[in-house]
Amino acid sequence: MESFKLLIIILLSSVLVDNYVLSRFLGICPFLGVSKKIDQAVGMGVAVTVVMLLATAATWPIQKFVLDTLGLGYLQNIAFILIIATLVQILELVLKKFSPSLYKGLGVYLPLITTNCAVLGVTINNIIDGYSFIESMVSSLGCGLGFLLAMVLFSGIRSRIDDTKVPAPFRGLAVTLIAASFISLAFMGFSGIVESIFA
Amino acid sequence: MKEKSSVSVLLNGILKENPVLVLILGTCPTLATTTTVKGAVGMGLAAMCVLICSNVFISLLRKRIPESMRIPCYIVIIAGFVTIVKMIVQAYLPELYETLGVYLDLITVNCIILGRAEMFANKNPVVASALDGIGMGLGFTLALTMMSTIREVFGAGSFFGIEIPFMANYKIEFFTKAPGGLLVYGLLIAFIYAVTHGKAPLKKSFSCEGCPNAANCQGGSCSEKGDEN
Amino acid sequence: MKTYIKNLAVFVCICSVITLLLAATNFITAPVIEENQNAAANAALLQVMPEGKGFETADISTFSLPATVTEVHKETSGLGYVVKLTTAGYGSDFVIMCGVNSDGVVTGAVCLSSNETLSKEKTYGENFTDKDAAGVEAVDTISGATKTTEAYKNAVKDALNAAIILGGGSVDIRTEEEILADNLDAAFPAGEKAFEKLFMVDLIEGVDAVYEATNKAGYVFVSGEQFIGVNADGTVVTEGVTDTALYSDAVAAIKASTLEDIDISAYEGLEKTVVSAKKTASGNFVLETKGAGYGIKGGDEYHPASGEYIIVRVSVTPDFRIIDCLTVSEAETDGLGDACADESFYSQFVGKTDENYKEIDAISGATLTTNGYTQAIERAFSAITTMNGGAR
Repeated sequence: MESFKLLIIILLSSVLVDNYVLSRFLGICPFLGVSKKIDQAVGMGVAVTVVMLLATAATWPIQKFVLDTLGLGYLQNIAFILIIATLVQILELVLKKFSPSLYKGLGVYLPLITTNCAVLGVTINNIIDGYSFIESMVSSLGCGLGFLLAMVLFSGIRSRIDDTKVPAPFRGLAVTLIAASFISLAFMGFSGIVESIFA
Repeated sequence: MKEKSSVSVLLNGILKENPVLVLILGTCPTLATTTTVKGAVGMGLAAMCVLICSNVFISLLRKRIPESMRIPCYIVIIAGFVTIVKMIVQAYLPELYETLGVYLDLITVNCIILGRAEMFANKNPVVASALDGIGMGLGFTLALTMMSTIREVFGAGSFFGIEIPFMANYKIEFFTKAPGGLLVYGLLIAFIYAVTHGKAPLKKSFSCEGCPNAANCQGGSCSEKGDEN
Repeated sequence: MKTYIKNLAVFVCICSVITLLLAATNFITAPVIEENQNAAANAALLQVMPEGKGFETADISTFSLPATVTEVHKETSGLGYVVKLTTAGYGSDFVIMCGVNSDGVVTGAVCLSSNETLSKEKTYGENFTDKDAAGVEAVDTISGATKTTEAYKNAVKDALNAAIILGGGSVDIRTEEEILADNLDAAFPAGEKAFEKLFMVDLIEGVDAVYEATNKAGYVFVSGEQFIGVNADGTVVTEGVTDTALYSDAVAAIKASTLEDIDISAYEGLEKTVVSAKKTASGNFVLETKGAGYGIKGGDEYHPASGEYIIVRVSVTPDFRIIDCLTVSEAETDGLGDACADESFYSQFVGKTDENYKEIDAISGATLTTNGYTQAIERAFSAITTMNGGAR
C-alpha cells in the first residue's frame, strides 16, 4: 500500500508539479514548435510518451546490469542517446510496416524525438533519483503525460493567440513564450498539493 | 581577405546568427540554467567547449564519415565530448556540477551543437569550424549571461552571487522561478526584434525553428520526413 | 552491402575512439572526483569533530549498540568516533550527528534534519560540546520543547555509550521502557513479563504506580526506586519489604474497589463538560471530562462545528488532589498536539491540586492543546464542586 501511494505521488508530481515542460524546460523546443494544432499536439505528446516508456524500459536495465556492473558509468550518456535513437528508428520502421494509419498519425513526429531533451532527460533523471524499475516506468509515464497535457493545453492558447492582434515586436515567438510563462505560473499552483494528498 | 572571413565567421555566431536570440536554438538550457549568472556562464562555457571540440572533430572526419551514417556518428561524437566535459567539471568545478545537474548531460541534445555540425562543420575546414564553434559558443554564452543577469539581479538581488545593496531588499522571486524564465526570454526576443527593427531573421512560423532537426531541413519541411536520422 | 559494412565500420571506429577518449578522461578525473566526494562527506563529519584528519565507516554489525545508532564513522588517527543517530522527536524522527573522542567527551553535536519545529535545536547541540557523560546529563532541556530536547539529550548519551562499546567497554544501553519491563519482571516473575498499568482511584501511601500482571497472578507496586511484587492473594513476594501489611491491604482494596455511577444529568450544565462520573467507596471521584483542544473547530467550545474533544480521565480526592490522570481520546495535530496522549505529558498532573494543576510543561508548538487539556482538568474540579452542592 505504501509503495502504491509512492507510485501515485511520483506519477502526479511528474504530471503536475514537476512538469517537464513547464517547470524543468525539458522538451520545450517541440512545445513551442509543434503545439499549434490540437491534433498535432496530441500526436507529438503520445509519441513522446511512448518513446519515453520504451526508452526507460531499455535504459534502466542497461544502466543497472551492464554499465554499473562493469564500472562503465561514464558511457551512460552515449549509451542512452544511442538506445533512444535506435528505438525511435525501430519504432518508425515497425509502425510504417504494420500500422500505416498509426504511422501517419505518430510517425512524422518520431524523428524529432531523438533529440528531444525530455526523453534523454527522463532516462537520466530516473537513474539520478535512484528509482526502481517500476518507479522509473511510472515516472516516465508521468513525464510523458505531463508533456502531453502541456502540449494540448497550450495548443488551445496558441490558436487564440494567432487570432489576436499583437504588437509587432511581440509577434510570433515572444508572445508565445509569455503565454507559456502564464501557464507555467498556473502550474506552480500545484506545488505542495501532491505530497499532502495522502497526509 | 582570409583574415576578414575568419572574423566574419566568428562574429556571425555572436551577432547575426546568435543561436539563442536569433536562431532560437537551445531553448532548454537557456531557460533552465539562467537563474544565476554563475550557472549560465558555466553552462555557456561548457557548451562552447563541446561545440568547439565536436566541430573540430567532425570537420576533421568530414570526408570519412559516410553520408547515410552521419547523424549517429555526430551524436556519438557529441555525447562523448559532453561526457568528457562533464567529468572535467565534476572533478575540478564540483560546485558548478551541482548547479547544472542533469542539464550538463543534456548538452548532448542541445540543438545548437548538432545544428552546427550539420550546417557548418561537415562542409568547412578545421580552422573555420573551430572559429564557428567559438563564435557560436560565445553567442550562446552571451545570450545566457544577458538572460541570467536580468533574472538574478531582479530575482535574487545579486550578480554573480554578490549581493547588490539596494536590489537585495526588493527581490522579485518570480524571476528565478520557471515562469519568470519564460517571461524574460519572451521579452528579450521582443526587445531584440524592436531594436533591430525586425531585421533579425525571425520567422513568423516556428514549426521548424523550434524543432531540433531544423538545421537539417532548412526549407521548413521537417515535419514531412526526417529520414536522415 | 559492401558500403553498408564500410559505413558500419566507420561508425564502430568512431565509437571506439570516443570510448577510448572517455576512458582516458575517466582515468584522470575519477580519483579527483572520488576525493571531492570524500571531502564533501568528511566536511559534514568535521562539523562535529573539527580535529579529525580522515574518517572511515565503521562496521557496527558485530556490536550491540543503542537502537538509535544508524551509522558510525571512525576517525582514522584514533581520535574517536562520529555517531549518527535517528531518534523519535515530536512526532517525526530526526537525525543527530555526534562526535565523541576517545576520552568519552563530546566533540560536537548537530541536528541534521531540517524539520522546522527543530529550529531551536539547531543551536541546542552546542551545549554538549566538550562535555563528558556527567556534563551531558547536566545539560538542561529547553522548556517548551522538552520532549525534543530530551530526545536530543538521550541521543547524545546513546552516542557516548556507543563510543564506549565500540572501544571495547560495556554499558547499560536499555531504553526506559526496557528498564521498566526488566524491573517489573524482577519484582514479580510470575507475571510472565506482561504487565498493565492500573488507573489508580485511591491513594496508597508511598506508592507512585501500580502494575497488574496481565495473567491476573498479582501486582507490582512502584515506590520510588523500589519495585514490590505482590501475589493476588496479598502475599508480598519481593524480599526485604518491611511493611508487608500495607501492600496486602492495598491489594485487598484494589480487588474490593467498586465504583458507584453518578447520574450527571441530575446536575445542571454538567452534561456539557463531563462524559461520565463515578465515586469510590472512599469518596474519591473518577471523572471523564471534555477539553476543547486545537481539534475543535468553529462554533463555541460546547457546540463545535467539527472536531473532537480531548477526553481526560482523572481521579480526584474530595480535597481536590489528583490521584491519577489519563488521556482517553484525542484528535489533535499529528506530531504536535497528539503528544497529550503520551504518558510523559499527562503524568505531570498526578499529585497536583486545584491550586497548582496549571504548573506543567506545555506541549511545545501546541498551546491550544495544552489549554484544552488543563480546561478538562479544571472542569473535573468544578464538576466535583457542583456535585458537592457548590461547596469545595
